[in-house]
Amino acid sequence: MKLNGRLTPTFFIGPHLIFFLVFFLLPSITGIYASFTQWNLINDPVWVGGSNYRTILFDTNSTFHHQFINGLKNTLLFVALSVPLLIVIPLLIAVSLEHKKVKMKNLIQAIIYVPGLISISAAALIWGLIFNNQLGVANNLFGVDVAWAATQPYAWIIIIIITLWGGVGGNLIIYRASIHGVSRDLFEAAEMDGAGPIRKFFSVTIPSIRFPLIYTFVMTTAGCFNVFGQPLMMTSGGPNQSTTVLMMYIRDLAFSHGESIAGMASAMAVLLGLVILIISAFQYYLLNRNAS
Amino acid sequence: MANRIDLSKYVAYLFLLIACFLWVVPLIFGVSTSFRSQTEVVNVGFRLLPVNWVVENYMGVLNNTSTAPILKWLWNSVFIATSHALLVVAMVAITAYGYTRLTFKGRDTLFFVLLAISLFPGVVNLIPSYKIIDTLGWVNTPWAMIFPGLAGMGNLFLVRQFMLGIPKELDECAKIDGANDFRIFYSIILPLVRPVLIVVFLFSFTGSWNDFLWPVIVYTDVNKMPITAGLLLLQDIYGNYRMIGQLMASALIAIIPTVLLFLFAQKHFVKSINLNAGLKG
Repeated sequence: MKLNGRLTPTFFIGPHLIFFLVFFLLPSITGIYASFTQWNLINDPVWVGGSNYRTILFDTNSTFHHQFINGLKNTLLFVALSVPLLIVIPLLIAVSLEHKKVKMKNLIQAIIYVPGLISISAAALIWGLIFNNQLGVANNLFGVDVAWAATQPYAWIIIIIITLWGGVGGNLIIYRASIHGVSRDLFEAAEMDGAGPIRKFFSVTIPSIRFPLIYTFVMTTAGCFNVFGQPLMMTSGGPNQSTTVLMMYIRDLAFSHGESIAGMASAMAVLLGLVILIISAFQYYLLNRNAS
Repeated sequence: MANRIDLSKYVAYLFLLIACFLWVVPLIFGVSTSFRSQTEVVNVGFRLLPVNWVVENYMGVLNNTSTAPILKWLWNSVFIATSHALLVVAMVAITAYGYTRLTFKGRDTLFFVLLAISLFPGVVNLIPSYKIIDTLGWVNTPWAMIFPGLAGMGNLFLVRQFMLGIPKELDECAKIDGANDFRIFYSIILPLVRPVLIVVFLFSFTGSWNDFLWPVIVYTDVNKMPITAGLLLLQDIYGNYRMIGQLMASALIAIIPTVLLFLFAQKHFVKSINLNAGLKG
């Protein structure tokens, strides 16, 4: 009986613990270790100290340095362009939906949410049709002749458009639920004090949904740093690698058809991970402090 | 005053109308192009609906089993997403029980240590995860997509929060009646957490179905991959948008299962987030 009592926790939490160790903790530690090695995914990794990091960060003659700088620059550009829109657009839609006189709220919400349930590869095929330079709808509509995926800034524009199309719905639902949870009394009190819709938005809505805003801001940013599918499918990283993001270089170095350079790729992954960690922590600190 | 309120109504409607239009029109174009003949696609230009509805694109896609076995991809995705989601639900329910209803030393500390570790950016473990899958002999097998996701902490956190809300007295009564933990878990707790488990199932299913980076890495065998990875190949197979009807038909075949799931379970998708926001807000 006593033995049984001790074994019970092992049965309930043991399996998950094993999976966590094998598929999260072990690979995370190995990933950091591998970043200090030369590794081709087949033989054992060979310790080279900080050499990968020196090459990536400082060796201006190395292609790895150029790939990292270009990939990071493009990733940061993507984050800077998409995150504000992924916060503001769903917020405006949520507020519009909360308007007392607006009807068919759930239908509208569903229309905007459904693209988020479509895989990036399927979504990219559909948007590829719209921005196709021969048969495309966009060129017909605007009466222009643009090779969208192969010309800047259009390459970025189509990547951002497909990101918004799929990404707005998730945050929209979080904002709607949060605004719904705000007490009606607050809005009515503000109305009695003569506050218009804009004033109510900034003085009641925004402060009341502070936590969901911080949460979506941090999560959306971290998610955008891992961008991969949109540029791969829409532009193949072009033109001239101007939309090749860091995840694409990491994948190519580790898994492309030639010899794997998994050690170097791991160092880039650790650097990207660090950037994500630092920016998330900074965002959280900044927003939480300013809001309280 | 009355004017101002009315104006805000029109602004809201205008904004929503534009949003709905922009969000739905690409889908309509995708669907209508999948039902156009190749000659119509090339010649007609800008038209919302097909002149003649044809199913030749779908026939072409379904018959091309040699280079693009889309039915096989579809089956792979169904198998992977269903098994993954079921296993996640089982694992999360059992584990959350352990972290909420059992008492053992360091229980909450252990949970929060795992939670803190899980916030570490996933990009770092990507390459070693592949190595582990390779070592296990799971490259080009469904297991590569079914099992690693079971390590996650997000769903576990959600279900644990939910279980913490169930009164302890329920377990104690059952214990006095002679029930052991397995019995309490199965007969008392499990039925009570069913709503949140449905949510976990839906999100695990759609998450697995739409995963892209990982399948692109672990599947090289055309017959073994799920449909998201397959669609990447199609861009080349259907001549980089020369057979545009076939591309649209394939994309829509890949979309249908998750969109149908949403239409049937819309309530749960939306309620889940309510619950989510309720916890966090």
